[in-house]
Amino acid sequence: MEPTLNRPLRRNFMKGLLGSTSFWLASGNAHWAEALAAEAAAHPYQPVFFNGPEYQFLEAACERLFPGDHNGPGAKALGVAEFIDRQMQTPYAHGENWYMSGPFQQGPANLGYQLPFVPRDLYRKGITGVEHYARQQYGKDFAALSALHQDELLTALEGGSVQLGEIPGRVFFEQLRTNTLEGAFADPLYGGNRGLGGWLMLGFPGARADFMDWVNQEGASYPIGPVSISGETA
Amino acid sequence: MAKTHVDAIIVGAGWAGSIMAKELTEAGLSVVMLERGSERTTPVEGAYPESIDELRGAVRKRLFQNLSQSTVTIRNTMDQTALPYRQLAAFLPGEGVGGAGLHWSGVHFRVAPEDLRLRSSVIERYGEKFIPEGMNLQDYGVTYEELEPFFDKAEKVFGTSGEAYRVQGKIVGNGNVFSPDRSDNFPLPAMTDTFSASIFREAAKNAGYHPYALPAANASRPYTNTYGCQMGPCNFCGYCSGYDCYLYSKASPNVNILPVLRQDPRFSLIPNAHVLRVDLDSTKTKATGVTYIDTKTRKEISLSAELVILGAFQFNNVHLMLMSGIGKPYDPVSNTGTIGRNFVYQTITSSRVWLPSSTYTNQFVGAGGAGVAIDDFNSMNFDHGPLGFVGGSPIWVNQAGMKPIAAATGAGGGGTPRWGSAYKDALINTYKHSLGIDAHGSNMAYRDVYLDLDPTWKDVYGQPLLRMTFTWKDNDIRMNQYVVSKIEPIARAMGATKMNLVHLNAEQPFDTRNYQTTHLGGGAIMGDHPQTSALNRYLQSWDVSNVFVIGSNAFPQGMGYNPTGMVAALAYWAAHHIRTIYLKSPGPLVKI
Amino acid sequence: MKWPLFLACLLAIGFSAEAEAQEADSTILEKGRYLAAASDCAACHSIHRKPEYSGGVSFSLPMGKIYSNNITPDPEHGIGRYTEVQFGRALREGIRRDGSTLYPAMPFPSYARLTDRDIHALFVYFREGVKAVPVSPPRNEVTWPLSIRWPLIFWRWAFAPTPQKAIANTAGEFTDPQLARGAYLIEGPAHCGACHSPRAITMQEKALTARDGSLYLAGGSAVDGWTPPSLRQEDRTGLGRWSEEDIISFLKTGRSNTGSAFGSMTSAVLHGTQKLTDDDLRAMAHYLKSLQPADRTQTPWVYDPTITDQLHKGDLSSQGARVYVDRCAACHRTDGKGYPTVFPPLAGNPVIMQKDPVSIVHIVQKGASLPAMTAAPSSITMPAFSPKLTDQQIADVVTFIRHAWGNNASPVTAEDVKQLSKSMPPPDMADDALSLN
Repeated sequence: MEPTLNRPLRRNFMKGLLGSTSFWLASGNAHWAEALAAEAAAHPYQPVFFNGPEYQFLEAACERLFPGDHNGPGAKALGVAEFIDRQMQTPYAHGENWYMSGPFQQGPANLGYQLPFVPRDLYRKGITGVEHYARQQYGKDFAALSALHQDELLTALEGGSVQLGEIPGRVFFEQLRTNTLEGAFADPLYGGNRGLGGWLMLGFPGARADFMDWVNQEGASYPIGPVSISGETA
Repeated sequence: MAKTHVDAIIVGAGWAGSIMAKELTEAGLSVVMLERGSERTTPVEGAYPESIDELRGAVRKRLFQNLSQSTVTIRNTMDQTALPYRQLAAFLPGEGVGGAGLHWSGVHFRVAPEDLRLRSSVIERYGEKFIPEGMNLQDYGVTYEELEPFFDKAEKVFGTSGEAYRVQGKIVGNGNVFSPDRSDNFPLPAMTDTFSASIFREAAKNAGYHPYALPAANASRPYTNTYGCQMGPCNFCGYCSGYDCYLYSKASPNVNILPVLRQDPRFSLIPNAHVLRVDLDSTKTKATGVTYIDTKTRKEISLSAELVILGAFQFNNVHLMLMSGIGKPYDPVSNTGTIGRNFVYQTITSSRVWLPSSTYTNQFVGAGGAGVAIDDFNSMNFDHGPLGFVGGSPIWVNQAGMKPIAAATGAGGGGTPRWGSAYKDALINTYKHSLGIDAHGSNMAYRDVYLDLDPTWKDVYGQPLLRMTFTWKDNDIRMNQYVVSKIEPIARAMGATKMNLVHLNAEQPFDTRNYQTTHLGGGAIMGDHPQTSALNRYLQSWDVSNVFVIGSNAFPQGMGYNPTGMVAALAYWAAHHIRTIYLKSPGPLVKI
Repeated sequence: MKWPLFLACLLAIGFSAEAEAQEADSTILEKGRYLAAASDCAACHSIHRKPEYSGGVSFSLPMGKIYSNNITPDPEHGIGRYTEVQFGRALREGIRRDGSTLYPAMPFPSYARLTDRDIHALFVYFREGVKAVPVSPPRNEVTWPLSIRWPLIFWRWAFAPTPQKAIANTAGEFTDPQLARGAYLIEGPAHCGACHSPRAITMQEKALTARDGSLYLAGGSAVDGWTPPSLRQEDRTGLGRWSEEDIISFLKTGRSNTGSAFGSMTSAVLHGTQKLTDDDLRAMAHYLKSLQPADRTQTPWVYDPTITDQLHKGDLSSQGARVYVDRCAACHRTDGKGYPTVFPPLAGNPVIMQKDPVSIVHIVQKGASLPAMTAAPSSITMPAFSPKLTDQQIADVVTFIRHAWGNNASPVTAEDVKQLSKSMPPPDMADDALSLN
């Protein structure tokens, strides 16, 4: 089943405070982070697939991959962990559109993914493996590490030098990176891209889907803020 | 209620199948069209704004083949073990009513005439020795002049927008100077150039090249086609490739043909019907019908018919022929047999050009078929003599609507960060200020690049998967590199502050993990002789004369142009000969 | 009368009588089928995916809910026991076989105009050309004392014309045969006035023909949550700027350069007008174009590009402009001209400028769909926006389109929108009651 489209909007606060492009673009408005955090704190999401420590890892790791910075909100403020948890309840996470028949035989990387694991397996096994590695290397859980060490660990995963039990670190890293970016930029319908913050950073207009007036305005910047499928604007 | 006998069975509800169904019902035949995927209609699931959803659409691949049911295996060379294509990436076949014709972009070319007789043309100009060892270079067996009325007919069904160069011998406009004569103009004027396309046009023109508007099956005006089906004009929303067009602007079987077919009592469409094989009589020279599996009930059902049309996706047509025993499977060692022979792809590389930060390319604005191209390095339009390769490539700016997840997941790499703050800086800059320039080129056929059945992996119905043996070859790599080198001066003239020129490399084999193109071709090709082609010039099986196989499987080479226009013209061409000759006297249309 | 003309008439009468005698049963049946379409019987007596003419379509009226009858030739559940005379009385006078009176939801005051020949053809068709279906519609849910039918007799006596008078009235004054044919179709079988003419407090149409004055087809009150606009020649709210070609295209395909069908009209086109010949449609269009405006005060609509220019520059300062750009412009364009005949224009569209905004508010709230027609096989859909837009946003955007591009209708408030959501039209094509391709 596709996720339902009838998710009630619960972001009146967001819409009020952060409801304009100019807010995001104006310098000195650094409180967006607190505003988003306050919103999240007021309505804490209860993960369904991930357990507490797993979810802590997810929040910490996603934030390093897509950090809040001078460009705008990061993964945490955008609700990326919530997005990933919700995705874990879709056919995608069960690998329902992947060919998952054996035998599973490894080959050259350019012939593609050949593991017997679907996204839910990759997360469960991958997070266990990363935490094991973090405790081994740094003596702490991932979420408790300094940003520097977290980045060091993620770099090691990306570089392919770490094996997380049955899962190559690189495979887990790519899964996490892909889902993090999806959560930052998908329609807020799916739990991420809170306040359309991802789209605002890129200047993407969202679900308006009409640029008849903007086919060629000689390189001028498109001036209208985004709208989501359900009608949330920014 | 399933009929047990009909005049014609059509496998696949994409362009090829829908065109054939329309033509055959017009001829008075009863037609059943079998589609293994689900029903899809624009006003229901294509409706705005729910369809404007990148995650559900292009990312989770709503309109694409469900690999869990059936896929292919891939290897680069004959000495490797092919492994299953488990996740959609390099190419994206469609599934469901409309097929790939529902999720395509809309670039709607005719053909470069010399591509239809490429072997003859190369030999005439450069001599037979110019053809590299191991290249199965072949002619189609049909000429542009023969196909022209059918290109014209297809354009009037698709509502194609474009600017002609020459109509009935007279130069009429600013179209592609390399394009052949046309019997009529495009039904709609060309799409407006996006900003990025307009500066490419200017720079290419100043460099002495011949830019033209891409012919697009995205309607530039409201249009009612020859069947009475309506299209709304494209508003450059950018949701073409991977989506069903909510504006009814991008031509699809669903918008342009099926609305009228569905009103015809001679026509019925059965979705969720996965065809297992074409049933043959004991002589193996006549098809008696097909057997399919109802994917909902898992029941096997047989239908009988006088005529069977395979109109599935390119490699599914080949798979069905192999599963049914139609024709002789190709053997790369002896270079004999025809089913699986001349499997081809295209050489597509996308380079990126950054403009000054005061200039916004607004990449989300776009249309799948719109853009500006040059053909100066396509087909036989330039001198290959000193270059020593066969084939060519258009170069174009085809701003099709860049969406944020695609931009984000594709950003970084090549030494630049793929995550973290520096990645975000680069992503935002790239999204706002860059544009893409593509080399969209040909791919030749080789003796050891082919399709056959995999010895190990099976689909969910228990049939062996199709196996692809494919990699890039020296001729095509050098062609791509040469054409990409021509992009650099154009990009500089456009005001590039930075560029990332991407081309094929000898040390990088075909990689199934990155999207390249869904323009797969060959495997059951048309031609002059049953020893070197599976189909005659009317796309009729040489071996089983009441089976016609319509699709890009018929292309002996991968051409520089997008294939849909050619597939549509071939479908109308085949249908014309079925209607005017075959139905009066069933049997082989070409006698050897 | 001069002798030659008299002789010619006699000859003509003789010839036509002979022709009628020779008319094969199948021809009469086909004529009946055609007239049933022209009379739009199916709109009220057929339900999609159920047997044709088996009734059961519900009508929510102030007095309760009533259901249309089974009019198939089934003797128990349908009209199989009706004689031709009884059939004619039901159609033209609203009198059932048992002598009781039909609810005036049945447009017998219009059908009163049907000629004997047409009644005969319809009778043959409903006897021979329709399959008998042994089902009865649900019982009407009308509360006592309104459920008593006998007072309807007085309604009938007071307001319904006798067939003789009606036929004479409509056939009366035309010298132009095309106008006469148009008047017959529109005032008679097509019963356009049943929806498009205003009704008095006692529910009768205030005018039944063009001769009854300028209230005829001057716009009706809301039916099922849709307000039927004037079909007279008002410039802004009527058909003043529609050409005959626009009207023909609209009746044939449900879509024209000037607007598309929605609400109950969709079904009138689907079951009825699309099946009429081009000649009959032209006659109808010609007749409609002859109706002088009821409201003579309207200044001609002229396109005003001010809003278009603002939106093109990204200036969204007008109230409702942002909602329009976010949700509407994709199809209807920032210039309000839409993409006729696919997505209808809003600029200058009479539906937008109706005094009563109920139709336009309801379209925004629940969407609208055009199913495939024979001559226009494409189904076109507008999605529902009521869950996506708040009452205030709907009020803003409806007010915006009622003011933009030279339109000049009154503003709509959030309170209006809230009230109107209570009169939401019943399910139609947008809710899969009809298949869309």
